Amino acid sequence: MSAYSLWVMEFAAVPNYPLSGLVYGAHNQGTRKLPYCYIVIKGQGQIAMVDVGYNHKAYGEVLANTYGVEGWHPPKTVLGEIGIAPEDITNVFLTHSHFDHMGNIEDFPKATFYIQERELSKWVWTMSLERRFRWLMLGIDPADIMRAVDLARQHRLVCVDGDRENVLPGVDLHAAFDTHTWGCMYVRVRNDLASNSQDSYVFCGDLAYTQENLRGFDPNDPEYIPVGLATGSQFNLIMTTEKMVKLVGGDVNRVIPPHEERLKDLYPSRITSNGLRVSELALADGEKSQVR
Amino acid sequence: MQTAEALSVLVDDATVVYILETRRHFEDLRQIASQLAGLLVLAAAGSKEAAPDHPMLTAARQLHREAADGLLRSRPTLRARRHHEHLLDATSHLANALSAANRILDVDPVLIPLRAGYSALQQAADALPGFELISFERACCGIHLPNEVKPA
Repeated sequence: MSAYSLWVMEFAAVPNYPLSGLVYGAHNQGTRKLPYCYIVIKGQGQIAMVDVGYNHKAYGEVLANTYGVEGWHPPKTVLGEIGIAPEDITNVFLTHSHFDHMGNIEDFPKATFYIQERELSKWVWTMSLERRFRWLMLGIDPADIMRAVDLARQHRLVCVDGDRENVLPGVDLHAAFDTHTWGCMYVRVRNDLASNSQDSYVFCGDLAYTQENLRGFDPNDPEYIPVGLATGSQFNLIMTTEKMVKLVGGDVNRVIPPHEERLKDLYPSRITSNGLRVSELALADGEKSQVR
Repeated sequence: MQTAEALSVLVDDATVVYILETRRHFEDLRQIASQLAGLLVLAAAGSKEAAPDHPMLTAARQLHREAADGLLRSRPTLRARRHHEHLLDATSHLANALSAANRILDVDPVLIPLRAGYSALQQAADALPGFELISFERACCGIHLPNEVKPA
């Protein structure tokens, strides 16, 4: 029995991304494809997402021309591949505040957004620092902050303080403070709805970019290797990885990094007519496959 | 952030000088917009921290004075004239937003000029190379690929 259908939806990609940007210390080891994806969680009368991507209108041209991001498509097109419209989305869990994860909130007019309060408050604090601290503002778009104002006024912004269980039935939010950002969080779906779940998935945002962050390079001698970019610390990233892996019973394949192209090797998937991949992690009872 | 050498391929030397001179002021205005928006999020979320005497507002006002003075001193080339006008517009709108925040940190009186100011900054960023509203080069996706890097 599965309570939720779970899909990973690609909305853009960088074809050749240096591995050193994904795995700490992996210098001069070439490049690989870096997909940009968001997650859809459908079931129990709700359709939720983990992150919403970025708004191409605002900075798509810069990303395309300078950083090689290709193939961006809007949520209407991407979600349409699994028969969902942006207006259908009821809840969005923002793993962190970087532009490529929360930069498109205005495309989801009916959703309630969840973010860690610390992510916002430390963000605001960072802005009060002098210019020489500007590295701490990396990846933040002031326009996203203005859109968050509107969400708050419409009572569609929920600031979460730490962990929160059953934000939807069987869906838990877990804080990962001072890791990739000040107030990161990850989402656990207990797909059997059991408190001692044997069928869990963790959606980790940028706490892991790729499988090597979760198991290293040697399958015979696994290790955690953090992502390269941390506002917090590599230590906190490693300890958070241990927590995430434990929450899925030790099966690292159930910790889902949205930037990992090789999910296609683990789960059924298909390429859409726009060249974007849809990966299907689980199907709720009675739900039709969107990849077969 | 594009270097003088990279900019010189795109625009004339005098405009490169103008870009290098005004980039700091552009970034300061962007910072002011971020600071005001951050305070508004706190206000809209009902935080007690959001108040007209918040120290961040004092910092934003000081930054605004410096940026406004710098922009008045700058001398745009013909190529940069429209860019300079957008920056002056942004300065004016953000002054209004700061002035509204002086009185009471109510959302609308601040947010409306703030949005106008941010929009002017976007137009400025579109008008000349070398100005970015987000520091992409430090973000997750922001590793510029030199041509010689080969796939693994």
